[in-house]
Amino acid sequence: MASTVIGAGIIIEGEIVTDEDVVVLGTVRGKVSAKEGVTIQQGATVEADVVGAGLVVAGTLTGNITAADRVDLQAGARVIGNVKAARVTIADGAQFKGNVDMDV
Amino acid sequence: MVTDLSACTSVARQLMAQPRTSTGGSESRIGGGARVRGRVQGEGDLVIEGHVEGDLTLRGHLTIAEGGSVSCDAIDAESVTIAGLLQGEVAASGPVQLAASARVRGNLKGSAVTIAEGARFSGRLDCDFDLPQELGGSAREARTKAPTRR
Repeated sequence: MASTVIGAGIIIEGEIVTDEDVVVLGTVRGKVSAKEGVTIQQGATVEADVVGAGLVVAGTLTGNITAADRVDLQAGARVIGNVKAARVTIADGAQFKGNVDMDV
Repeated sequence: MVTDLSACTSVARQLMAQPRTSTGGSESRIGGGARVRGRVQGEGDLVIEGHVEGDLTLRGHLTIAEGGSVSCDAIDAESVTIAGLLQGEVAASGPVQLAASARVRGNLKGSAVTIAEGARFSGRLDCDFDLPQELGGSAREARTKAPTRR
């Protein structure tokens, strides 16, 4: 159970900073910074730079991703931005445009 | 969901006026370790256990849980329950409830406002009671300018 859940109908314009998990089903514009996992679910729209320990993307993300551990772009994900993480997976069916930097 | 159609319109109207608690999965939560700076708006219920700095516009029920805090200019929601800290103005179309642990500084407006014993509130209460047209026209307003502090 995630600590912070941005529901499907919710729009946040600004900054989310947390030392726990974040799950986004709605819209976030600005910045997301978590000490633990960040999950951007299918149907979610994130226009923000995202920082977290582990990142799972199944929705739409425009912005740069920095993960301390890993990034998983799942099928259905649409990502425009640069990814910086030691471990990155891009599933079949994920759309991705940007650079990947695994030299963390 | 199929119900008795004869009673449906008035019930539907009532349901639409209520906070939609039953729209499964639409509940949002700002966790205890989270800080949000910016504007929050949208549909569905929101529980704030962390800190929010910025205005909230919500079509749904807003809960500021114990331990949570909000500082803002304005909160606009269908109904509001406060058990945490709030600095700012609340305008709700439905009821506003202050639980015993609430610490509120700002003005409250709602269809009804309840303040539990133990809650601290400093600000103005603004409740509108609508009378039927034939009983005195528009709205009679019971306004309490109360710098209530307990």
